[in-house]
Amino acid sequence: MASTRKTLLKLDNVTMKFGGVTALNGVNLEVKEGEILALIGPNGAGKTTVFNVITGVYKQTSGIVDFDGISLGNQKRYQVTALGVARTFQNIRLWGDMTALENVITATDVHKKSGLVGALFGFPRARREETENRERAMEILRFIGIDEYSDRLAKNLPYGVQRRLEIARALGTGPKLVLLDEPAAGFNPAEKVELAATIKRVRDAGYTVLLIEHDMSLIMGISDRVVVLDFGTKIADDIPSVVQKDPRVIEAYLGVPADAS
Amino acid sequence: MFEVLIDQFWSLTIAGVALGFIYVLVSLGYTMVYGVLRMINFANSEIFMWGTFGTIITSRDIFGYTQTSAPATGPKLALVLISQLLMSMAVAGLTAVFVEYVAYRRLRAKGTNRLATLISAIGISIVLSELMRLLTDSRPVGSPRVLEKIILGEVWGANLRLDTIVTIFAAAGIYFLLERFVKLSRMGKAIRAVSMNEDAAKLMGVNLNRVITTTFLVGGLATGAAAFFYITVFEYTKFNIGFTMGMAAFTAAVLGGIGNIRGAFYGGLFLGLLEVYASAVLGTQWKAVTVFIVLVLVLLFKPNGLFGEAVQTTRA
Amino acid sequence: MKIRNYWNLRDFGANLWENASRPKRVAIALISIGFVALLPFMGASFLATPIASYDAVLVYPVGMFVLMSLGLNIVVGKSGMLDLGYVAFFAIGAYTMAILGTTTKLNTWEVMPIGIALSMIAGVLLGIPTLRLRGDYLAIVTLGFGEIVRLVLLNSSWSKGPNGIANVPMPPNIGPLKFELENQKVFFWVVMAMILLTIWMIRRLTVRRPGRAWEAIRQDEDAAELMGVHTLKYKIWSFTLGAAVGGAAGVLYASKNLYIAPEMFTLNVSILILACVVFGGIGNIWGVVIGATILGYLPDRIRFISDARLLVFGLVLVIVMNFRPDGLLPRKKREKAIVKREANA
Ligand SMILES: Nc1ncnc2c1ncn2[C@@H]1O[C@H](COP(=O)(O)OP(=O)(O)OP(=O)(O)O)[C@@H](O)[C@H]1O
Ligand SMILES: [Mg+2]
Repeated sequence: MASTRKTLLKLDNVTMKFGGVTALNGVNLEVKEGEILALIGPNGAGKTTVFNVITGVYKQTSGIVDFDGISLGNQKRYQVTALGVARTFQNIRLWGDMTALENVITATDVHKKSGLVGALFGFPRARREETENRERAMEILRFIGIDEYSDRLAKNLPYGVQRRLEIARALGTGPKLVLLDEPAAGFNPAEKVELAATIKRVRDAGYTVLLIEHDMSLIMGISDRVVVLDFGTKIADDIPSVVQKDPRVIEAYLGVPADAS
Repeated sequence: MFEVLIDQFWSLTIAGVALGFIYVLVSLGYTMVYGVLRMINFANSEIFMWGTFGTIITSRDIFGYTQTSAPATGPKLALVLISQLLMSMAVAGLTAVFVEYVAYRRLRAKGTNRLATLISAIGISIVLSELMRLLTDSRPVGSPRVLEKIILGEVWGANLRLDTIVTIFAAAGIYFLLERFVKLSRMGKAIRAVSMNEDAAKLMGVNLNRVITTTFLVGGLATGAAAFFYITVFEYTKFNIGFTMGMAAFTAAVLGGIGNIRGAFYGGLFLGLLEVYASAVLGTQWKAVTVFIVLVLVLLFKPNGLFGEAVQTTRA
Repeated sequence: MKIRNYWNLRDFGANLWENASRPKRVAIALISIGFVALLPFMGASFLATPIASYDAVLVYPVGMFVLMSLGLNIVVGKSGMLDLGYVAFFAIGAYTMAILGTTTKLNTWEVMPIGIALSMIAGVLLGIPTLRLRGDYLAIVTLGFGEIVRLVLLNSSWSKGPNGIANVPMPPNIGPLKFELENQKVFFWVVMAMILLTIWMIRRLTVRRPGRAWEAIRQDEDAAELMGVHTLKYKIWSFTLGAAVGGAAGVLYASKNLYIAPEMFTLNVSILILACVVFGGIGNIWGVVIGATILGYLPDRIRFISDARLLVFGLVLVIVMNFRPDGLLPRKKREKAIVKREANA
């Protein structure tokens, strides 16, 4: 069923080298519209590097990244966001001295037209967009379930809320594709279950999700497809139940804690 | 416009190499600190300026030379020059350690943002230069001539003057000594380890504060040596002399790839020559402007310098 | 708890303001403005300055420092970029006034937009290549730029080199308000108006999109760009607006001083202004205003400081950064104010 859907993001033979280190080695990857695709692999496999290449933090050594028919290779980082790709960070990078709401409002600015002159003289469009942004941001906080924290400075929020605010901020940019980098890192089992439900809701609201995660049970529960990276190479790409039994995947994960069951 | 350049090409070249070696040593002060801290040592220009005063005080106040006394000869000459060199290095080295202690250390321990550290460093360099301005009453200070500027000979129509030749060979010697130190000594290896990866170095048991202090000290010693050669050649200093020197040496460091010791060598020589040639063509008043334009062009088109690491590294 | 509250000037002020009704706010604002406007008449009080004429001191350094500090604060405080060449924009404004004022019939108010525009153009030209670079490079390049502008003025014939430009015309009178050398009240009111305009501009921008973009850039530039903020564009805007304020100050300065020369535009000016910003509280408008007032005024009040002015300012930079990085009035932290309001409700 998933295969009949339109391809939203496509990595074609992407290689990324840092000096002598090959972080990605000819990776092919397709994300279909409306799915939750999990990207897994042992530490240092190159998962975050995939995100960094997609969002333009790094320019790939070779290969093509195509999003919705547009090659991202020549786009600036903020343009990639404007095209509809948003991300979260493995190590939280909120703007700590802004409130939760302001964090999200800042993200919603990306699609707005009014600029500095409009803001200065209070042109009607600027005022309207300000209210729209505020309402939209509040809506997103509610959607993620952290609206009660809207007026708190991001740096003072509990850890779990910060992680979820990262997701809210990414949604604020109005993306088609959301890249989540270990959104459940440091969560206890109950929080993980809750987060899984949130991610599902995000997908059901029409966003496509590419998810990096270490927790197998979380992944098996919500993802439509799983891609496995090991040492920068793709070693599996299939539905969760098949990937789980793949001997190469089991081998790659050998020695990784037992939560992989 | 270019007659002077063509006529005096070789004497300009010799002067440029001497100036270049002075730049090499000062830019070590920038490049080494940048290597370990990833931060510009803003006060290095004032460290240089204090070194020049150390040089002059040694000959004038310790050995009692005046503007009218005869230059030294024989063993006395060697004694005075070496004392001047050591004094200049000591003054600059200690100033550098002081700067690190006062302006950088506390903020590093607190882990505050770069802006605060930058401002603190600017502050200390203002304090150093203003202190000297008040001490010298804003007046320029001439250096008594210790080393007679004998003309040793002539090559392709260019005079080989003793002070220039001494500068070139002695400065080159000091540069190579320092390079050896960083390459081979234990401390030097620790410095390089921190430059490459601070966290890994810490895990390996490197004492970060000691490494950083040593780096400032070594950078200061190099800068102090440069101050001595500068006085030997130009025989003059003033409280605000650091600015132009600092700009030029920093540009040299960026040109060679900041953080890279070998880079400082090539960058310094290149800039010394460029400056001398450019002054011959455009006039000396445009020297600083030329240096600035070079800096902007390098940052624009070759921000990694000719040998260096990336100026801008981001990691999400 | 109570006592600490008085020490925390920011919260004290914020409380006063936030608990006030709208008419009360208008009253507070008008009374404050009125009080400041009357300052030039208080020369006979303990405020008197022993060295220079009191109302002249109010215009320069005090008023001008406040104005320029507000401008520099857009760059350093709002978007976190260290601009050490701020004097260059001041110089560009001043020379625009001096040259146009002596060679054409344009008066101060007509030159003002030209001076501002030229400063902004210089800001863009310098900003495009350098604002891509990381912070410390920007600092050193702007440092160089400030000095280069001075050197160009010193060595060019159109700027009359080291002799400078004399006989710059005073501004034409505004109705009954006359500009005079001996009595600089009117100058002070003009500076005050410019300060109010600048504050209005900053406050407007801060609460809207540009302010958020700057704030995001200041806190984490990479994250900002990845969340869709066109960082270069907003950095250039910030730099250019700062330049505009500096240029405007320069135009007024030239037609107040009537004579300008390159030696007035040294690196020291940039450092003085930076010290004002840092001392008052980086990023806090009111902090900057108070900081610049104190640092502008004290050296003229206390002779000892006057000689060692720059030394003191250098010390201010080091000490404030190391021991009280927020300055007198810390950057606004909205959360506290909000929590307080809830507690009061
Ligand atoms: N900027 C960089 N410079 C050099 N090497 C890098 C850089 N970024 C990533 N690498 C290397 O690329 C490899 C892949 O790193 P990456 O962060 O993508 O791993 P990951 O799969 O996200 O791991 P983790 O599960 O620990 O987050 C690692 O060996 C890492 O050291
Ligand atoms: Mg990762």
